Amino acid sequence: MQKFGRHSILVRSAAVLIASFLVAGAVSIAATIVVTGQRQHRAAVEHLGQLLDTVESTVSVACFVKDAKLADEVAQGLLKNKEVLSVAIRADGVDLARSTLPGRLPGEAAGNTQLTRDVRSPFANGKTIGRIQLTANAEVIRHTIRDEVRFVILQIAGQLALVALTVVAVMLVFIVRPIKAMSDGLHRMDATKGERLAVPQRHANSEIGRLVLDINTLAGNLVDALSQERTLRQEKEVDERKYHSIFENAETGIFVVAPDGILTSWNPAFALLMHIPPYEAYRGNLNIRQLPWENASRITELTLHCWLNNVGLADDLTVRLRDGYWRWLHVVLTPVGENQLQGVVHDVTEHKEAEALAKQLAVTDKLTGVTNRLGLEEKLQRLLSDPLIAQTGGFTLIMLDLDNFKRINEGFGLPIGDVILKDATARLSNCIKASDFIARLAGDRFVLTLESLTGSDDVDHIAERLMQSIRKPFYVDGSPVAIHASLGIVVSPKDGADVPDLLRNLELALDRAKAQGGNGYVFFDNTLAKTAEKRQHLENDLRRAMREHEFQLYFQPIIDLAGNRLAGAEALIRWPHPERGMVPPDAFIPLAEEIGLIDEIGLWTLEAACAKLAQWQREGIDRYISVNVSARQIPDGLPAVILSEIIEHHGIDPARLALEITEGVLMVDVNKALTWLDAVRARGFRIFLDDFGTGYSSLSYLKRFPIDSLKIDKSFVHDMSEDSSDRALIEAVIAMARSLGMKVIAEGVETAEQLSLLRGMNCHYGQGYLFSKAVPSEQFEAAASRINELLGHTPGAA
Amino acid sequence: MSITTTLLLTLCLILLPRARAEADLVVVVNARNGIERLTLDSVINIFMGRYRQLPSGIPAQPVDQPDGRPEKARFYRLLVNKDLAEINAYWARLIFSGRTSPPYQAKSTAEILDRLARQPGAIAYIERNQADPRVRIVLELEH
Repeated sequence: MQKFGRHSILVRSAAVLIASFLVAGAVSIAATIVVTGQRQHRAAVEHLGQLLDTVESTVSVACFVKDAKLADEVAQGLLKNKEVLSVAIRADGVDLARSTLPGRLPGEAAGNTQLTRDVRSPFANGKTIGRIQLTANAEVIRHTIRDEVRFVILQIAGQLALVALTVVAVMLVFIVRPIKAMSDGLHRMDATKGERLAVPQRHANSEIGRLVLDINTLAGNLVDALSQERTLRQEKEVDERKYHSIFENAETGIFVVAPDGILTSWNPAFALLMHIPPYEAYRGNLNIRQLPWENASRITELTLHCWLNNVGLADDLTVRLRDGYWRWLHVVLTPVGENQLQGVVHDVTEHKEAEALAKQLAVTDKLTGVTNRLGLEEKLQRLLSDPLIAQTGGFTLIMLDLDNFKRINEGFGLPIGDVILKDATARLSNCIKASDFIARLAGDRFVLTLESLTGSDDVDHIAERLMQSIRKPFYVDGSPVAIHASLGIVVSPKDGADVPDLLRNLELALDRAKAQGGNGYVFFDNTLAKTAEKRQHLENDLRRAMREHEFQLYFQPIIDLAGNRLAGAEALIRWPHPERGMVPPDAFIPLAEEIGLIDEIGLWTLEAACAKLAQWQREGIDRYISVNVSARQIPDGLPAVILSEIIEHHGIDPARLALEITEGVLMVDVNKALTWLDAVRARGFRIFLDDFGTGYSSLSYLKRFPIDSLKIDKSFVHDMSEDSSDRALIEAVIAMARSLGMKVIAEGVETAEQLSLLRGMNCHYGQGYLFSKAVPSEQFEAAASRINELLGHTPGAA
Repeated sequence: MSITTTLLLTLCLILLPRARAEADLVVVVNARNGIERLTLDSVINIFMGRYRQLPSGIPAQPVDQPDGRPEKARFYRLLVNKDLAEINAYWARLIFSGRTSPPYQAKSTAEILDRLARQPGAIAYIERNQADPRVRIVLELEH
């Protein structure tokens, strides 16, 4: 029966059923044997008792009279019952009868059931006169038991057969067939095509039916899961192919390394970069340290750090390949889990070389090919941090600047200037040792480093030689051009602890050399630094003063000598320094000019002056104000447009504002100055020429420039009483001015005598301590009252 | 034995009024055989065939009253409390085996007395008033 194998439910159930029936049968049979035995025994005893009852009276009689024959009769009669094996009758200790079934031994009786009964007298009631003993025939009992057992066995077998058949049939119908049907259905079913099991007939609501529904649900879920799985797998395969392709074809070297340093995989690009022979891939024990790193301990260190800290790292490493050339590799290590590190390697040799080149270029001066400022700073940094240099007494720096080189550039043009610079570089290079160093900072400024040369005499010697080399004429188109140079010298470490210090002190020394007229050299000393420091403080203070409005504008009255009245005032800037007290303008204006703060200060002055003018205009007072304008402000620091805007803003007449310029303005750039002057005058402003007589005082300038008034310097006025030549000079100036249509203002009028003399010369205006010193704005009217008083008492006032 | 005696005495007391009306039955033997007294059991054993000897060793020769005599029925009633039919049935079984036979049945009281006189082992029951010097009363059956 192939259909139901050893493990089929049916066979197993049947086997279990039969086994349990057999056990139950065995128990039942055993019980039957025991129970039947006991029952048979009881029945035998009872039967024997009944037999005894029937013969009792006869036995009684036989025993009474001890009649053996009668007793034997009784015994024979009893033996006719097959249950009785033997009979023994005794009376008064004598056997009356003793009989056993024919063919059976009397000894057999031993162990069998026996029934013994006393025989009582038939007359004297209850008196025992004998005994009768019956032995049951065990054979008969056994036979009965055998019959009973046989019956029970038959009965059980019959039941077993019936029940087994029923169970088999029921299981076949209700379980096995439906399951078989389901199984067959499952074998045929293709769940992926949406096929599902049919519920077996009459099982719609049974466990089988529910099982079928469950199986269908499960099948549905499985199909879904499989389909998802398939999709994922396909995607993963695509990804893997993609990544594998990337891995295989990448130009970047990729490798994976295990914690012991063994490379577990790498791509062809990596093999190519590292010159890994193909057979290594099969040996599988290539250690990352075995690759031709120039510094194998570095890669070990990197990988260890990466593993220990579980962080990605990157570094540039060099490999030295078999044929002697080396490459720069950029290695990026990334932990990718399971203690594996992924490495990505780029060949960055070109990049590195370009970088080195760029670095070289960055520190090289293009024109001369020597180091530039950046290179110099690096070099100095190296020198400073070199302990050997420090031990041997430091080094010397010389900063060299060609005097007035700007004029060469302007005179011959930049290309010629460049040729001269190249020539100069070559000459300077020849003056120093090969171990020394020359750099061009900018323009015509060079720095030379002289190592192990700190003795002052030696340095003097070198300095002279350098100056000499520059003094030899340069030839421009065959014509000799004479140039000389100024040198500043510092000695490290004495003259500076770091690069900026050294360079600053070099410049200070050079500036001093320049200031001394050039064509010389100056060793740095601390007074230079102190002066520079003081200057720096002043500069800081000045900027703060501008920022925090510390400046004040004072006004010194100007008197109309002919009209004998107060005509206006010169605006003068004052700086009440919070610590140093009042600082005079000549102590800070040059610095302001130098650092470019003059434009701002100039504008502030102008604003303040205009505010004062506006105030007077409101008060109906007819006065003008002159404001000093620095040569540095012209033309860009104070454009005419701005002037007009300020005037308009305050709503005043430009004719009330005079701009005092010095002859220096006219010296710098004649054309620009002229343009500015024309523009300013065209807008209605007046121009005063200040400090006339102290400079070049070229008459041709006076003629060319549109000037409204001349201010005669107070040094002339001061000496006019005693010095007739000064007096004559003033007279001449006044006459000349008059002929040019200009007014003259005499400065520094301090005495009544001076005033009288000036009046005698028909000088137009005067200002000075005689009338009033410069006063703050709010004290001006008081000063004006005093002046009016003074003028009223003056002789000539009438 | 004492229990039986007591029972018999009790029985006698109960039957006393009727016994007054009849003469007492006594068991008698040959006056010369030396037996003074017999117990009721001894009498039963001898009459019912169990023993065939007197205590003195002489073979016992029990003699029954003739059938139809009231003494016989009274005797067995008093002796074993059985009627004559039962006694006959008893003997019927024993006669069948042939080993034991019932007492000799006399034809008359005179024959009883005669046998008592002639046979030393003879033992019989008679009414008290029938006793003569040849016999000795060994048991009195009382009501």
